[in-house]
This record gives sequence, C-alpha cells and structure tokens, in this order.
Amino acid sequence: MAGSKTILFVEDDKPIAEMYSRVLEREGYQVEFASNGTEGLQKATSKHYDLILLDIMMPEKTGIEVLDELRGADGSGSPDTKIVILTNLAQDKTSQEALKAQADGYIIKADIVPSQLASIISKLL
Amino acid sequence: MKHAESELFRRQTLALFFIVSIVPALIVGAVWYAYSQTTVLNFLILDFNSFVFPVIMVGIVPALILSFIFAEILTRPVREIHAAIQRLATGDFSRQFKGDGQGEFNEISVALDQVSRKLEQTLSQAFSETALIKAERGKLHSVLNSMSDGVFALDRSGRIVLFNKAASEITGRSITEVAGQLAEKVMPFRSDGELVMTRWLALGAGAEHKVGQWKGLELYSADGHSLIVDVEAVVLKDDPNGIAALITFHDLTKSHQLEEMKIDFVALAAHELRTPLTEIKGYLDILHTEAKGLTKTQQQFLSQAMSSAAQLGDLMHNLLNVARIEHGEISYQTDVVDYRSLIIDTTATLQTHATQQKRTLTLDVPKQPLAILADQSAIVEVIDNLVANAVTHTKPDTGKIYISVIAHRTNIETTVTDNGSGIPRHALSHLFTKFYRVNELKSTSRGTGLGLYICKSIVEAHGGSISVESVEGEGSSFTFILPRSTIATKASSTNNKLTITKGAHGWIKNHTVR
Repeated sequence: MAGSKTILFVEDDKPIAEMYSRVLEREGYQVEFASNGTEGLQKATSKHYDLILLDIMMPEKTGIEVLDELRGADGSGSPDTKIVILTNLAQDKTSQEALKAQADGYIIKADIVPSQLASIISKLL
Repeated sequence: MKHAESELFRRQTLALFFIVSIVPALIVGAVWYAYSQTTVLNFLILDFNSFVFPVIMVGIVPALILSFIFAEILTRPVREIHAAIQRLATGDFSRQFKGDGQGEFNEISVALDQVSRKLEQTLSQAFSETALIKAERGKLHSVLNSMSDGVFALDRSGRIVLFNKAASEITGRSITEVAGQLAEKVMPFRSDGELVMTRWLALGAGAEHKVGQWKGLELYSADGHSLIVDVEAVVLKDDPNGIAALITFHDLTKSHQLEEMKIDFVALAAHELRTPLTEIKGYLDILHTEAKGLTKTQQQFLSQAMSSAAQLGDLMHNLLNVARIEHGEISYQTDVVDYRSLIIDTTATLQTHATQQKRTLTLDVPKQPLAILADQSAIVEVIDNLVANAVTHTKPDTGKIYISVIAHRTNIETTVTDNGSGIPRHALSHLFTKFYRVNELKSTSRGTGLGLYICKSIVEAHGGSISVESVEGEGSSFTFILPRSTIATKASSTNNKLTITKGAHGWIKNHTVR
C-alpha cells in the first residue's frame, strides 16, 4: 500500500534528507526532494503529493511560509495533502503558528529516529 | 480839651491806638499815641542812614542766619526720615535711624526704626520662605527630571500640565509640544490597539481617588516607533494645585528586545545543537537496523551509543525546558482531554521500554472517561519522567512499577509506585528543587536533577500538586493531583492530538481516528 503513496520532502540539510529518505523508501514510499522553500512550493503546486514534510529554517522561503501559501488564507488549500512540519525548532510559538496555518503535525527531529518517523507516517496516511 | 483836640486833629499826625481790654468782650478803655507827622518823617529821613539802616542790618542778618540754622535744625530729621524711608523703599534695612535724642522727631525716628526692623524681619522671613520654596521647587524639578521613568500630570480636562525629561526622551516629544494637549491625543496608551486609560481616568467633577496599573501597553514615539511600557496612574481627588491625575510610565522596549534576543538565541542555539544530535541518533538507528554480522560486543557498542545519544537528547530537552520555565516562555496549550485514554496510551508506549529493561509495568485506571483541561504533551512528560525515574531506581527482573488512577469528585489522583531503592528521609523535602540530586557525589544515577522540578512546574501550572512518600530500601511513591474539567470530553473520548512517541514533543492531528 505504502508504495502508492508519494511524499515530498522539503529539506535543505542533505545528510538529514538522505537519512530519512533511506528509511521511507525502504518502507515503500515514493520520496521526492526539494532543497529550499521556493522549490518545494513549486513542486507542491505542480503535482499532487499525499504528504509533504517541511523543514522550517531554509533558504528563500521558510517552511511556515510554504505551509501558509499551500493552505491559503482560509486554510483550506491542498485538502488532499497532509503537511507535517519536521524541524528542530521547538519553540511553542512556532508550533502554534504551524497549528494555526493548518499543519497536520509538528515533529521535532531530534526527538525521534527515522524508524519512528516511518511509523508515524504510516498512521497518518 | 476841645482846643487841644482841634489842634491835634488839624495837624497831620502819626498815631498809634491800642484798645485795652481784660477779656475780648470787655473793653475797658483805649490808649492813643500821637506824634506830629513831620517830627516822625524828619526823624526817619534824616536819621535813616546813620541810625535805622545799621539797626535794620544788625537785626535782619542774624535773624536770617538764625532762621537758616533753625530751619536746618528743624528740617534735618525730616530729611533724614525721608532718606531713610527711601532706603526702606529700596529694601535697605542696614542703617538705623539717628534721632537727636529729644523731641517729636526722635519719637518718629524711634517708631520708624521699629517699623523698619519689623519690616526687615517680616521681609527676610518672607525672603527665606521664598528661597525655601524655590529650593524645594528646584529639588522637585531635579527629582522629576533625573527619574528614568516618564512622568506627566493632567488637569481636570485631561490636558498635560507637567511632562518630565524622561517622558520627553522616551516619547521624543518636547514639553512645549505636549503642554496643554489632551493626553489621549499625544500619549495614547493602547492594549491590543484599544485606548486603555481615558475611560478609566474619568477625570472632571466627582473624580474619585484611585490607583491603576497596566503592564506591557503600547505607545508610539514621535517618530513612529512602537514602545512597550508599564504604566501606573493616580487620580487625585480635589488637588489644590489643580492636578487631576499623575501618570508614570516605564519603558520596557529595550529590556523586551534584549529578552527576545536572548530567547531567540537560546532557540537558535538549541536548534543548532539538535541538528547533529538528529543525525547521530538517526544514523545509529539505521545502522542498528541494517548492520548484519555484527559481533555481540559490536552490537553492545552500538546499543551503548544509541542509549547515550538518547540520554543527551533528554538532557538537552530538560535544560532547555528549565530555561523556558524560568523565562516564563512556556505556554501550555490546554484542551479538554480524556485523561483515561491519555494514560492508557502513554503507559502502552512506556510498556515497551519497561519490558526491554526487564521491569513490570501495570496500570489501574477507572472505566469511565475522565475530562481534564490540560496540555497533553506536558502531562505525558510528567508520566514519562516519573516512570523513567522508577525504572532507574528499580532492579531488572524484580523491578515493579504500578500506576494507579483514582477519580475523586473534583480531581484526579495518579500515583506511580515502585519497589526500588527508595529515597533517604533527609532528601524528601529537596526532591522537587532544581538541580537537586540525592547522591550528588556517589553518582549512582545519571541525570541533571531537573526532571522532578519540571514535573512540579507542569503540574502546578495545571492547578495541581505533586508529592512523594518513600521508605529507603522499600520503594517510592509519587502522587500528582490534577483538577477535573467541568466540561466533559466528546462522546468518542478520543484526543485530538496523537502522542507521537515516548520523549517526543511535537504533535500529530488525529485525523484517522473516527
């Protein structure tokens, strides 16, 4: 089943992107990458993904800005795509911003290992 | 007589005539002196040069001199008095009046002297009072203008009548610019864009004496910069000087900026620390799953590295959490949560860990849903911490951890009991203190001594309490009480956020549960 699911991973840190993708691909997901916010937004608007994993601190556009643009002003944009923030920013205010902007999740990278991310995604999709 | 009479009258005579009277009303007679005119004229004309003139000169000159002297004697005191009065008029009280020791002038000068001294006294008193008032006003001025807080005063119509230097410096508005202006126009303190003080002040007739305080109000400086200020206002009732309100404000902008920079720095530093940790943990996890043919020792090394990485993560999390608690930066996102499903979920995740560590973990919980108003991940952290402590202080195989939940009418009591090493009596009262560790030097257990401090902070922030009972060598029992919510959870009693995993502090919206 997982094989039919597509994931867009927007992350500027290559070792981290490779680390997660290794596990996600092993689980059968189709993973595509974008290395900054602008590229991520471009890919997300040109093709459908079941899940978008968004880093926050990236060049050009932050993950929150990408989330804002994807969900739109009324928060109803891209209704068939789950968007999860995957960051190491653990501030409450950032987490609340993501919640307001209609993210489906907020995960702190350092708190989990790749296999845990895979199990969270399997519950979500 | 008749003849003599006629003779006398016929001739030109020079006569002198006196009326003799005893009292003005009773005339008793008259004396008549008469001389022949010729005789008199002869005498006057012939003897004027030789006799009358010298006589006149001898009489007049001394008279003139005398009169001058007398005039001098008579007018000197008058002039002196005049001069003295003029000196008085110019405020010179230094010279006393010199009387001549007798007569009316002396009395006048003595009286004037008294008046002068009295006047001098009164005036010098008045002067010293004025000087005192001036000095006081000067002091008040210095105090007002050396204050770092802005101070301004309003009259009954709400117009500014006093504006100190700090007020000028903070707002960038000069006293001349604001004097007589309505406070709400030039000094509009706002909270969330709303004017806060005008209505509260309610100046004018019948204003009541009161004191008000506001924290973190917004104010714009003359050049349009946004300021953050704490404000204190006093409304004065019937002030004799016409001051109706006194307002003090403290500029927090700089300290706010500093505080935000500090928080931002900590957040950034934490982010930078977490990034390598993510990779260490992540790649160890991949290695652990994928590595084939490792010797038992190599696998042990790997496990040790993984457990240390996890520990480093917990340590960082706790240290940062304490910093956030200390700075008041933690904001708990409270929702109505079913505590029953929360503790069942949490225990299930902890169960895996406990089984790995060869401890028995059991849970006893009421059957009905238990609504609490809580930040779910914070409460999960409390349970995590208490169970992790229980695991640490019990032994493998024999270690038993028992979680019991009792629902009271207004609150919910959760107890985590273990059969571990217990806590010495002397340590019990310090247990929830920051950085406290029971065996500081023996280092029998690892940890920062922050876990229980964080638990206490979280429970108290939820309006609850935490306590401990322990017998050394027999075990410990930690109890925390949380107030029940008056709002019931939804019938399905599922929480809207999913617990990610043990020790993880993000959230996942629970879309899949229906």
